[in-house]
Amino acid sequence: MPKPPIPLRRPSLTPANSAALLGAGLLLMGLGCSSDQVSHYRVPKESASAPAPMPAMPPKPMGERTGEPSDVPPPPKPKGSLKWSLPKGWSELPGGGMRFATFKTPYAGKLEATVVVLPGPAGGELANVNRWRGQIALPALDEAALAKARTTVTSKVGPVNVYDFTSEGQTKSRMVAGYVATPDGNTWFLKLTGDSDPVAKAKPDFMTILGSLHLD
Amino acid sequence: MIKAYASRAWGFLKSFQLTIVLLALLMCLVLFCTLAQVEMGTQGAVDAYMRSFIVWNQPLLLRLPFPGGALVGLLLTLNLLAKTIDIKLSWQKSGMWLVHAGLVVLFAGEFVAGMMQVDTNLSIEVGQTVNFVQSYKQMELAVIDVTDPTWDEVYSVPDTRLAKGGAVAIPGTPITLNVKKFYANAELSNQGPGAPPSLATAGIGAGVSVEERPVVSADNEINQTSAFVEPIAGGRSYGTWLVSVALGAPQSFTHEGRTYTLAMRLRRQYLPYAFTLKQFRHDVYPGTEIPKNFSSLVQVVNPSRNESREVLIYMNQPLRYEGKTFYQASFGKNDTLSILSVVENPGWLLPYVSCVLVSLGLLVHFAIVLRRSLKRRQDKKEG
Repeated sequence: MPKPPIPLRRPSLTPANSAALLGAGLLLMGLGCSSDQVSHYRVPKESASAPAPMPAMPPKPMGERTGEPSDVPPPPKPKGSLKWSLPKGWSELPGGGMRFATFKTPYAGKLEATVVVLPGPAGGELANVNRWRGQIALPALDEAALAKARTTVTSKVGPVNVYDFTSEGQTKSRMVAGYVATPDGNTWFLKLTGDSDPVAKAKPDFMTILGSLHLD
Repeated sequence: MIKAYASRAWGFLKSFQLTIVLLALLMCLVLFCTLAQVEMGTQGAVDAYMRSFIVWNQPLLLRLPFPGGALVGLLLTLNLLAKTIDIKLSWQKSGMWLVHAGLVVLFAGEFVAGMMQVDTNLSIEVGQTVNFVQSYKQMELAVIDVTDPTWDEVYSVPDTRLAKGGAVAIPGTPITLNVKKFYANAELSNQGPGAPPSLATAGIGAGVSVEERPVVSADNEINQTSAFVEPIAGGRSYGTWLVSVALGAPQSFTHEGRTYTLAMRLRRQYLPYAFTLKQFRHDVYPGTEIPKNFSSLVQVVNPSRNESREVLIYMNQPLRYEGKTFYQASFGKNDTLSILSVVENPGWLLPYVSCVLVSLGLLVHFAIVLRRSLKRRQDKKEG
């Protein structure tokens, strides 16, 4: 004898069921909360594979990369402050935030010249040079390659280590950087960055500035 | 008595009046959220208005509480469920059941997206290989053991954990970080004469002043998250360090022959595969500057799948890979930098399922009504 068809029953939603649904929703909300746990990754060395990419929206002031107006007063002059002579057409703008000074150049195009001073060795020359290379998408160097890339300019404050890097790709970026430690223990970074062509035009003047460095 | 209340509550829950009120609230929220984006940025406004249960303390709403998108959405879902259940369970109503089920799935999809979707980005320059995505706003303090010449051991402490302060043990290392002070946003400057001494006793921070700033959420702004932390290992303190997104210079200390660097940065998620950008194209219509096409040709290398292949990602043609969707989002550095927006949403299929269900439901309902109408006409003729 065939089984009778099972009558369709209309389900009912009671207040208890509603509360259960609400609870399920809240539970899902809880699952969505981000974790505060410390996470661990084992990754190939960045310096061996690739430089760190820039963020989609770069932070406003990034150490020596600050360039925007700031409501923080210009930095005070450290003891044994470094001085320089500017070539014709160049002028000095006050720094702000972590930046000690900015140079205005007479050359057109995307170009920026900055001075940053940090206490102590500031992480060391190799790490800083590799960080700069990362900013223009160049792979990191080791100590031997760093020594090869280094040239020096004589100044009254002592030899200034100079690095000149140009990026790869269709539009080339270039960076000329001077690195010098002063007797008070501070490290000074003088950088000329921008598109390759205007940097090339401004480089002779920038090298003159590096050669003119002296203590206050 | 209780039964009467329950019955009234049930009647209210399935009422059209409730639907109308909730839809009106939703329209208000959409308007407020759109206006708020000017000041708060897209994500900030969406979080404040659409993904919260109650909107608190918003100048746009005169700082008065207002039901948030999550609450309105939840009530709309319950209202829809109640209404669906109220539909007679018969073949005649199958179309309506399908349409309502589709809408419930759509709402569920939005809840899943709101709670579980993770938005990150992948910035990559031509010739570069990248194996991680990074957050737009959230930060991490990366404690990286750089001793091994081939590998880095990266320990990521989320900013949300740093904000709580206190001791943070780094699992797998002898290090405990003592978080002395945390700034969600700050401005850094060189320390002036007469300035109060810095909390930092090691690294660059000893000569740096830190001033707290209000948190920003606009799309073109980023918080300069900073903290003073004291690494302690083997009972020895390695001094107090200032770590900040605003500090580019690297800082490190060595414990028992292992060197650890400290870096505050945008939160990263490392991937078991890597992308290499082979070419980025920004084509314009001839004789104009009007964009015609943006595309990134990437080489996807995934050792776990023994896979290495080229993929072209372009506008409206994202790459869906390992649970993530990579969209062409932006570009920079004179067309040598491509920025891919990366979305991880476990419920990404739900809106599609919903569309299919609603379309199918409307077709079924139309067919049923048409059949009934034709039958009536036939009966009339015969009658």
